[in-house]
Amino acid sequence: MAKTLSIKAPYPPGDFAIWIIVYVELVTFGLLFVGYAYSRRANLHLFNDSQLLLNQTTGFINTLLLITSSFFIVKAVEKIKSMTHDTRYKSNIAASHWLLSAIVLGSFFLVLKLTEFSHIFGQGITLSTNTFFMFYLLLTMFHFMHVSLGVIILVNLYRKTKSQGYTSEDCRGLESGALYWHLVDLLWIVLFPLVYIIR
Amino acid sequence: MRMTIKRVWSILTALTVFAFLLGYLKLISTFLVVVLLISTFLKGQLVIDYFMGLKEVQLKYRILPTLWLILILSLIAVAYYLPPSVY
Repeated sequence: MAKTLSIKAPYPPGDFAIWIIVYVELVTFGLLFVGYAYSRRANLHLFNDSQLLLNQTTGFINTLLLITSSFFIVKAVEKIKSMTHDTRYKSNIAASHWLLSAIVLGSFFLVLKLTEFSHIFGQGITLSTNTFFMFYLLLTMFHFMHVSLGVIILVNLYRKTKSQGYTSEDCRGLESGALYWHLVDLLWIVLFPLVYIIR
Repeated sequence: MRMTIKRVWSILTALTVFAFLLGYLKLISTFLVVVLLISTFLKGQLVIDYFMGLKEVQLKYRILPTLWLILILSLIAVAYYLPPSVY
């Protein structure tokens, strides 16, 4: 295989606005993550005991779902970016299949999370039960809202690919939607070990 | 080195299984928390580089999410490892 010269692109993928959103979300969640970590220090036994009520297997499956859906999104963007004039129909349809697969996995994530919330609330646990559950519910419900919005965005991207709405030169909307989904994935990648594993 | 997306997904999956097993088998210890945080950094960096596509753009755009990841994971590590008297 010929060795290619690596030339860095001058701008990142997606719209400028999506990067503002990405950075705002990173700062917001970052503060919550650090708040959790330092509150844990002050209430070590409470956090360790409360954490035992969480289902690590569900958290693990949810991580796999988000990682795999992110992979599918990358494949969808690749299909669009590598299309030629002759392959516009085929590439959009292939991208729509990848997007639909990601939507299914994202929906599974939401269903699993709702099951987890209903189990937690069924035990009489609320935001005011203790500091651990205040952080747990705040973080996971806030993230849940982001995944829900992400699924809605993916559905819109899917509909646009079904109508052959993207070309390799005109796919900024797709890239921006994809970035939002990867952000949701990145946040969960930090949230999972912090809340479910570290003790 | 440019990795294929499939390989990136495989590494992310393997590191997730590793994190889960640490918790599920109750192997997590003071030493392994730092290993877990390093593996979390690797996962986050793979998402930033290959999923978000920042490996192929200029460093000034790539560095901000990377710095966020380093800062947050370092602060989590400090919160975990600082002796209680310092807090």
